[in-house]
Amino acid sequence: MTDIALAPPSLDLRHMVRRKLFPTPLSGLVSLIGIALISWLAWALIRWAILDAVFFGTPDECKQAAGACWAVITTRWRLMFFGLYPYDEHWRSAFGCLTLIAVIVLSCIPWFWTALRISVLWVVSFTIFVVLMRGGLFGLSVITEDKWGGLALSIFIFAGTSLLGMPLAIMLALLRRSPLPLVAKLSGLFIDTVRSLPLITILFTVAILLPIIVPGLAGTKITRVICGMAVFFAAYQAEIIRSGIQSLPVGQEEAAKALGLNYWQRTRKIILPQAFRRALPPTVSQFAISFKEVALVIVIGIFDFLASGNAAYGSGDWAFAYVEVYAFMAFVYFIFVFSLSRYGAYLERRMRVGK
Amino acid sequence: MPAAVSIKNLDKFYGDFQALRDVSLTVTEGEKVVICGPSGSGKSTLIRCINRLEEHQAGSIDVLGTVLDDNTGHIDAIRREVGMVFQNFNLFPHMTILENCVLAPMLVRKTPRAEAEEMAMHFLKKVHIPEQAMKYPGELSGGQQQRVAIARALCMKPKIMLFDEPTSALDPEMISEVLDVMVSLAREGMTMICVTHEMGFARQVADKVIFMDRGQIIETNPPTEFFDNPQHDRTKTFLSQVLAH
Repeated sequence: MTDIALAPPSLDLRHMVRRKLFPTPLSGLVSLIGIALISWLAWALIRWAILDAVFFGTPDECKQAAGACWAVITTRWRLMFFGLYPYDEHWRSAFGCLTLIAVIVLSCIPWFWTALRISVLWVVSFTIFVVLMRGGLFGLSVITEDKWGGLALSIFIFAGTSLLGMPLAIMLALLRRSPLPLVAKLSGLFIDTVRSLPLITILFTVAILLPIIVPGLAGTKITRVICGMAVFFAAYQAEIIRSGIQSLPVGQEEAAKALGLNYWQRTRKIILPQAFRRALPPTVSQFAISFKEVALVIVIGIFDFLASGNAAYGSGDWAFAYVEVYAFMAFVYFIFVFSLSRYGAYLERRMRVGK
Repeated sequence: MPAAVSIKNLDKFYGDFQALRDVSLTVTEGEKVVICGPSGSGKSTLIRCINRLEEHQAGSIDVLGTVLDDNTGHIDAIRREVGMVFQNFNLFPHMTILENCVLAPMLVRKTPRAEAEEMAMHFLKKVHIPEQAMKYPGELSGGQQQRVAIARALCMKPKIMLFDEPTSALDPEMISEVLDVMVSLAREGMTMICVTHEMGFARQVADKVIFMDRGQIIETNPPTEFFDNPQHDRTKTFLSQVLAH
């Protein structure tokens, strides 16, 4: 009679390595070549990015060094983060930007997921951002929107797009499910039309064509761009929300009706909260896409993060350091989008238990 | 006794298919009615018409003196007084048991939270699961979920309760815990209209048993008469099938 194992067999490290990497001589050889290649790449990268890199200094010092020239970032980071915003007022842009980042993070906390809390949070923080950036109140000097720029502007455009786009998306999704055929058809037509247009044509239209077609149009270029991007975002997000709504069992709405809840109570308390949970993975990727799409505004002459990065190396002295600038910008984008997708994964784990 | 529900000459169509044919039924206050019949006979459709989960095309429905028509005010008024329990429980999975129970009283009856929670706990005790109040529906067994669904409906203090095959989706060992709750509710004088295949329950609490087939009411009788001396051939066939197993 054999003993019954009470725990899975524990494998020591040497055993594991042998089993996973060197099960046969050929596999062992492939493993060795692979390890050598990865080590060589990692070493080359560490030497370039850290050991031989110049973190502070002049362009000339950089040119003499073999490694990366991070000095371009340490010298020019303010331009990349704040664009053409007046140098002495950069703290305002920094605080505004941090407010928006904070509110994006706070919106991720389930406690804020009621219509009231989330709208108060966004309206208050947006007001703070605009007052800080534009000034004209509390003794702050007025700085017009054409001077806004850099990462602060990119985050502002993204936040504005989400803030306007999400309610619009919910509205479009609900209208498309309306029992009145005309309303449903019109909403569907609107969504499909917007989805069939490239974002870049929408940007050109709102930034350049619209002021020509409608002279005396209110709003600055940035506001119009945010509106255009919000409509684009809403068209896609509306379909994501609708897919969430349609995946709900019909019994949910029937139970809510039977309890006497009216349309808005059912929508607010029963339908939308569950639809959003179900549509979470595509919603997270839609946010990631819109964050990266903000970089497109460079083509209509808005000085966003990408444009500021171009300017940071494009002024003669630092022209050789474009790789470092782009590597840094890629890193910043990575941090934003990677945290977003990690957050999405956390939410999915959390919801698996029914919360 | 005044009529709680009065249905006259009801017709209901799904496209060209006629689901209800000239159905008339009166349920007086405090009466317990069990509706049975083969699958597709229109019994669920009939009780779903009473709170406008289905729309009827001809005939009239009067619930507690309110005529059910397209007026949303009338529909809302009727739904406030009519509770419903579904085959698939239909608890709201994103809310705790307690939240499921206080939602409608707070939103529809504007009951303050403290009072609504007190009432919810009262009814959860009555269905014997107060200790589950903070759990989510997904953490409960089918029988427990159905008892919560009954408590949730009772929290609206309804005058009439509709049961749409409340035990059909349950594992056999959980059926009796749900039926026990329904029996005690019946003893307290609730007006109940139950679509069910539980003939023991019908025998025990029903004032009258209705047999439906192909969208029509075939036979209506008190349970002893209904089970011991069925009048119609189709009733006899149905009973022999249901009682045989």
